[in-house]
Amino acid sequence: MPCERKPMRYGHSEGHTEVCFDDTGKFIVTCGHDGDVRIWENLDDDDPRFITVGEKAYSLALKNGKLVTANSSNAVQIHTFPDGEPDGILTRFTTNATHVTFNTSGSKVAAGSSDFLVKVVEVSDSSQQKTLRGHEAPVLSVTFDPKGDFLASASCDGSVVVWNIEEQAQVISWPVLQKTNDVSNAKSLCRLAWQPRTAKFLAVPVETKVHLYERESWNHVTTLSDDLLNQPINVAAWSPCGNFLAAASVGGFIIVWDIESKLCVERQKHEKGFTVCGLAWHPSGSQIAYTDTEGCLGLLEGFRASVPTTNTPKVPAGKPERGYEDLFDDEDDDQVMDEGCSDANSPAKKAASGVQADEEDDDDFVIPATGRVKNRGAILDDENSLDSGSLKFGRPKFGDDNDDDADSAVMTAGPLPATLRPVYEGPQPTPPQKAFQPGSTPVHLTHRFMMWNSVGTVRGYNDEQDNAIDVEFHDTAVHHAMHLTNSLGHTMTDVSQEAVLLACASTNELASKIHCLHFSSWDTNKEWMVDLPQGEDARALCLGQGWAAVATSTLIVRLFTIGGVQREIFSLPGAVVCMAGHGEQLLIVYHRGTGFDGEQALGVQLLQFGRKRRQIINGEPLPISQKSYLCWLGFTAEGTPCYVDSEGVVRMLNRSLGFTWTPVCNTRDTCKSKSDHYWVVGVHENPQQLRCIPCKGSRYPPTLPRPAVAILPFKLPLCQTTTEKGQMEEQFWRSVLFHNHYSFLSSSGYEVDEVGQSQSQKEQQELLMKMFALSCKLEREFRCVELAELMTQNVVTLAIRYASKSRRMALAQRLSEIALEKASQIQEEEQEDVTEYSDIRQTSSGRSSYDQTDVREKHHRRQTLEDERSQELEEEEGEREIESEDGVEAPKRLNPFAKVPGSSLEQATPLSSKVGRPNPFKVLGSGKSSPVSCHPRVKNILDHMTPSRKLAPLSASAGKSNRSPVLKPLPPRAKGKAQSTLLEITGAKAVVKKTQEILEARDDQQKKADAPTAPSPADNAETVRPKTGFQLWLEENRKNITADHPDLEETDIIKEAMGLFRNLSADERLAWTERAKGLTGDVKDLKKRKRTEAGGGIENEIGQLEANENDAKKKKAMDPSSKLSAFAFHKD
Amino acid sequence: MDPSEVEFLAEKELVKIIPNFNLDKLYLIGGDLGPFNPGLPLYVPVWLALNLKQRQKCRVVPPDWMDVEKLEEMRELERNAATFTPAPCPYYMELTKLLLNHASDNIPKADEIRTLVKDIWDTRIAKLRLSADSFITQQEAHAKLDNLTLMEINTIRGFLLESLNCMYKLRSNLQPGSSKGPLADY
Repeated sequence: MPCERKPMRYGHSEGHTEVCFDDTGKFIVTCGHDGDVRIWENLDDDDPRFITVGEKAYSLALKNGKLVTANSSNAVQIHTFPDGEPDGILTRFTTNATHVTFNTSGSKVAAGSSDFLVKVVEVSDSSQQKTLRGHEAPVLSVTFDPKGDFLASASCDGSVVVWNIEEQAQVISWPVLQKTNDVSNAKSLCRLAWQPRTAKFLAVPVETKVHLYERESWNHVTTLSDDLLNQPINVAAWSPCGNFLAAASVGGFIIVWDIESKLCVERQKHEKGFTVCGLAWHPSGSQIAYTDTEGCLGLLEGFRASVPTTNTPKVPAGKPERGYEDLFDDEDDDQVMDEGCSDANSPAKKAASGVQADEEDDDDFVIPATGRVKNRGAILDDENSLDSGSLKFGRPKFGDDNDDDADSAVMTAGPLPATLRPVYEGPQPTPPQKAFQPGSTPVHLTHRFMMWNSVGTVRGYNDEQDNAIDVEFHDTAVHHAMHLTNSLGHTMTDVSQEAVLLACASTNELASKIHCLHFSSWDTNKEWMVDLPQGEDARALCLGQGWAAVATSTLIVRLFTIGGVQREIFSLPGAVVCMAGHGEQLLIVYHRGTGFDGEQALGVQLLQFGRKRRQIINGEPLPISQKSYLCWLGFTAEGTPCYVDSEGVVRMLNRSLGFTWTPVCNTRDTCKSKSDHYWVVGVHENPQQLRCIPCKGSRYPPTLPRPAVAILPFKLPLCQTTTEKGQMEEQFWRSVLFHNHYSFLSSSGYEVDEVGQSQSQKEQQELLMKMFALSCKLEREFRCVELAELMTQNVVTLAIRYASKSRRMALAQRLSEIALEKASQIQEEEQEDVTEYSDIRQTSSGRSSYDQTDVREKHHRRQTLEDERSQELEEEEGEREIESEDGVEAPKRLNPFAKVPGSSLEQATPLSSKVGRPNPFKVLGSGKSSPVSCHPRVKNILDHMTPSRKLAPLSASAGKSNRSPVLKPLPPRAKGKAQSTLLEITGAKAVVKKTQEILEARDDQQKKADAPTAPSPADNAETVRPKTGFQLWLEENRKNITADHPDLEETDIIKEAMGLFRNLSADERLAWTERAKGLTGDVKDLKKRKRTEAGGGIENEIGQLEANENDAKKKKAMDPSSKLSAFAFHKD
Repeated sequence: MDPSEVEFLAEKELVKIIPNFNLDKLYLIGGDLGPFNPGLPLYVPVWLALNLKQRQKCRVVPPDWMDVEKLEEMRELERNAATFTPAPCPYYMELTKLLLNHASDNIPKADEIRTLVKDIWDTRIAKLRLSADSFITQQEAHAKLDNLTLMEINTIRGFLLESLNCMYKLRSNLQPGSSKGPLADY
């Protein structure tokens, strides 16, 4: 039975509701406990008009443009329909009326009340009242005899009474109902229904059955029942043709019987099983509207699919009329015909009795009305009407026609063809979702958010007295709030730090307009406006940094500069869904095709403007949850694309995994109730925050009271996150994912929060180490090795220590191999110089995943370098302290980058004594995992973690700008990169040079020359390394030496000088050293000043380190500390 | 104790605000505050909230209990119960006064809330007086009152102690032979 049940929709507050159609069938009219009468154009009408009739509305009836309602002020009042003007009070009771109804012609109204009375009132003259007394309990329902003689009423006293209206006397009474004392206690509303037209039967819902009583004889003729009906029937209603009876029960069942055959032709259940308390047939008989006690409105469509045999005879009657209409699909023709009809009809029937006249009037009214309705239907789906025509012609069965009313035939014929159409049973296409602005609430709301993003909110008001837009900025430092009158009817908005962009769709006269309030402009013109070409409507828009983009109905994306210059224009492969802009990135989501069975087929494009213009994601499908649609699209504050679907899943772009989308959060998990939602307004990666507005019982927040933002944490949907392992894995990968943006930002030339970056790396490494320890504990050595692969070299050494401590030598061995590998990797990279993180697109196809790690590694390498150096310095100092007779050792101490194979392990270094811990890898004999560096490095890492943490707040307060998510390009963009590159190169060079020097020095057996002769890390004049005593001496005595030995090479000169310097007396040497110290002091001061100017976490860190060292080795501190500070300066 | 001192204590209560400026964490002796992100709610002490509000730097989010329905419920409860019901907040009177005086534009139905809180206050103070009265008339040595807020205690303390002292003096004078000398005040 192909009657379609439309989804219910919310109409009124909880409580008794009623429904009816207007005479034309154009509107569904409902009333409810909230005292409103709502006028729905159809079920999808999101903004029905409403008339407030009182505090509560108990019942309504509608006919001839008069709306009669029973309200809580005990009155029965009239409103005009559809205007809703109050039109007087019809009658009053001492308590509220329970049910009102019109007679067929609409001339009289009957009302039953809780004060046991039934009144019949003339609509035109409310003084003409007839009161029917006799019930002994509140009246449940009333119904007129279509012929006008009688009136039936049901009451809580258990009786159903038929009254003679004229005589105001009971004709008959059936005690069939259960007795109660009040309507609210009654099991059933017992809405009686009298068969229209023939007026033959009166339907009385009795318990789970419907009794039919015959007019005049008042015999109980039939009982209609159904197996499904196990709860009392609330409402009964006849189809307008009188051939069908619908009844709805407390349990939410709606049953339709064919009266002739007494067979059930339709069974439907309320989707939630709520009590149905209102039921109405569409005047054409094709739909049934129903309401429930929860205030919801539902619709059953496509009635009388399999029309029973009794109906088929009527079809031909409708045929000629239909033929007409198919030929002349014109209202005028209809009118003429209708008029002719009624003209012809009325005189002929004028002779009928007074009561009958009412009915005739009614008929006259009905014919044109239904004619028009049907006509409309024909226009709407004319293929159907064509079908129906042919079908009807093809139908040979012509029975005799006992009903000469044409409209009944029309009504039966109307919906018939729809069901005979060949039915397609496969997957149904999903209606494509409409274009929207992310961060806005639906357009049809009168008060709505037009935009809520990280910059501000835009609220739109569109009610009778006001059509305005309020722009408010979260940060009042950006701009003060603005109030705009929305005379053009803008519906789309975006707001950024620079401008507010508005757009409206085209109207009949006006073209679609784009309006930009460029408030950050420094000239006096802060506004510009652009008209789109004829026939082109703006569908979505967004703002970036210095540009604006508008997607239009002609599948074009237009770019503008923020000042209003037109820029590029390009076509989209499908209708746009929404767009988002951030910095120089533009993200577009569009319809890739038609989705089926509730799915949307969306595609996504990510473009980058600026220096390197390119398309990063070119039209790949956008993965969203099943049967969901897109709800929000945007960028994180750090510039990573992100979106939310209607299932509440937040997905973020993973740039390091070939531009895949990773689900990072499901907002529905945190909702308490099923109908609660979170309305996302922003995503931040550092700190990890999902900013959204909790909406109780809705998808969107109201504008008042002003909603407050809540913060949700992210959680990757990894398996077994309840276990410790799963938790750590989730944390690790989340951390990795949420720090992708650092490499992206640095690659596109933006400032990067170095402190945050190094901290996050530490966090990741710590997590890895924890996981490593856990796996160790669980005897999962293979897993340990896998984890070690993810670690940086420093942490691997830590892991090696852990493994060896817990006596897992096999594991330790494997780990050391990994460490070796990593070390050599670092070296290779260093040698191949610093390659730029250049074309993402290219790398994404190739080795994009490595690219990411490259960058990370680079950073680490830098750190290691740093560590290495400070270590080296320390060691140098150690060496000096020893001032060794054994000069060979110092140069032997290996820098892992120096890569002198096999040279390191020949002897135990003096350092090992300082370290104090035996190295577990002495046995391994591999030169590169330098035994000496192992321990101090480890120590360094840990040292590193604490001071930097302590320092973090300091630096943060110093550079407040770090916090703000706004993108800040480095002033000269290339410089940042160049600087870091320079640093790395010089750093590398320095190391290499130093080792060379060291080797040289070893050759000469000139221990002391080591530090002094090493060239400064950079050949910058400002950072000339402080001179040692020897150097000073050398400067002064150089001439003498060259004079003495003119044939000497430079190195030989130094050798010679060394010898001479050594020969000086201790006092003399000391004097030189003192002089040198004086000098270095000056230099250091200079450095310090510079440092404070530069101001940054890392300098501070090193500064602290320096300070520590100064404390520790007061005497010898000067030289190394100045070296360090030289490094520090460069670091910046 | 002065009511202003109680109010001063109440200013340490935390209240949610939505700042409209950007500022990093503040490091204060009493603890860290912030960071302040425009549009993102956070908790700050009342004194700071009011200061920011007066400079139009933030919007105050009224506390949960400062809601007409909840207060109505509480009022009914208070009226029906013979003893004191737990107050919505230990500083409800002070906070209502402070917030409504300085940030009434951020609090929906401010007038109704003011009336409701005043009603609750009046009910509670009436109860307090009544119990003080019965305490004195019955010449009890001690009594126990739960769920009183500091402000409420403060309003009655001065008068009650003074009058008890006074009565003690009078009584001890009545008893013969006890008038040995000046009595120490309590």
